[in-house]
Amino acid sequence: MIIIGEKINGTIPVVKKAIEEKDEEFIRTRAIDQSEAGANYIDICAGTAPDLEVETLKWLMDIVQDAVDKPLCIDSPNPRVIEAVLKYAGKPGIINSVSLEGDKCEVIYPLIQGTDWQVIALTCDNRGIPKDVQTRIDIAKVLVEKAASYDIGPEKIHIDPLVIALATDNTSLFSFVDTMKNIKAIYPMIKVTSGLSNISFGMPLRKVINQNFLTLAIYAGMDSAIMDPCNRDTMATLLATEALIGRDRFCKNYNGAFRKGKIGPKKEK
Amino acid sequence: MDLKQLSVAVGELEEEKVSELLNEFVATNPEMEDAQKVLVACQEGMGIVGEKFESSEYFVADLILAGEILLTALNILKPVIGESSSVKKGKIVLGTVRGDLHDIGKNIFKNMADAAGFEIYDLGIDQPAENFIKKVQEVNPEIVGLSGVLTLAVDSMKDIVDGLKEAGLRDGRRIIIGGNPVTEETCKFVGADAFTTNAAEGVKICKGWVS
Repeated sequence: MIIIGEKINGTIPVVKKAIEEKDEEFIRTRAIDQSEAGANYIDICAGTAPDLEVETLKWLMDIVQDAVDKPLCIDSPNPRVIEAVLKYAGKPGIINSVSLEGDKCEVIYPLIQGTDWQVIALTCDNRGIPKDVQTRIDIAKVLVEKAASYDIGPEKIHIDPLVIALATDNTSLFSFVDTMKNIKAIYPMIKVTSGLSNISFGMPLRKVINQNFLTLAIYAGMDSAIMDPCNRDTMATLLATEALIGRDRFCKNYNGAFRKGKIGPKKEK
Repeated sequence: MDLKQLSVAVGELEEEKVSELLNEFVATNPEMEDAQKVLVACQEGMGIVGEKFESSEYFVADLILAGEILLTALNILKPVIGESSSVKKGKIVLGTVRGDLHDIGKNIFKNMADAAGFEIYDLGIDQPAENFIKKVQEVNPEIVGLSGVLTLAVDSMKDIVDGLKEAGLRDGRRIIIGGNPVTEETCKFVGADAFTTNAAEGVKICKGWVS
């Protein structure tokens, strides 16, 4: 599983506050904590007003890249902001995200043509988030075909099928899994990703729903997740699932994480 | 060759590092004597693994991984360790005794005895007397090796030795017991010829018997 650490996001109140107060240490610590917990990429989202977004993203990127060695996942709804900050990234990471809304693909794809950058592609368009599986598949196809016209292969694309809240749609998990399987049947090398918390919106004990969603989604073939690697229960769920489905030879990662105290009861210091 | 470094790498289950160190070593065309020392260092690494398992730092899958690492190590070392001649030294019927599922020690012994030129018939784990008797009748080995980690293994070992006696298969054959619970007393109680808690020593004893 590819873990994209979600904790440096200006829409989270404590992060928003740190951005406003220019609290470098807070951001740095969050980057290090996520990296040590097992994040493969660190998501960076400013979440500020548009006029401050470029400046804020650069500030965050500089701190995170100074603190950890992990590649970034640059997160903005505005492709032109991503265009403006991409040059500050020390190494290729992931762009979060494109979709068929507006001219996102047309701005982002040329930027990463011929590079090792990957991209998260959401299955939505100007009409919003599709209700059905087929529309998601159709959008994914267009997203991949457009990428191909810039020589960007499916292996560089993480499709996010945009999970719907279970509270509003009883079949939301099945829709996700169906979409994933269909897209993978067409593009075997493509990656499928998801956030973990959309599914549980409006429900009590959200973390239980999120963790079980994670297990089922990994089992069904999900490749990456935008999640909190510092949440020990989530990480334990992830590692246990990977061990159970035979992706963790000799349970090395699971046992290793336990030994290092990353999962299970916190060890006395 | 930094033997200490090798032991630690085995102890820390660093598969790639172990292979890398051993491949480098084999590439230097070492003397057989040095190769033996390297093997001992690997075994010392297994000792570290054992200790970590005892202290609950390692788990069963880690032990299995350790066994795998040692097997890989032995395969890498085979060409320089000598005695892998096609003429077999003798036959050993080997198994973990009934009621016990531990086979790491047994497998280490098996691999080392194999490397030393013995023909090994490994029955596996949780093996009752009748299976040993059957195999001994079939292949007529010079040596029978009984392995176990649990204390209850000692009784099973005795059952097997008694069984062999009753079947008239004990005489003219050596029996070695190995594993955590074996001592000189258990050896006497069981009616075995030798005991060991060290695979390398076990192989040495066996070699002494057939030479």
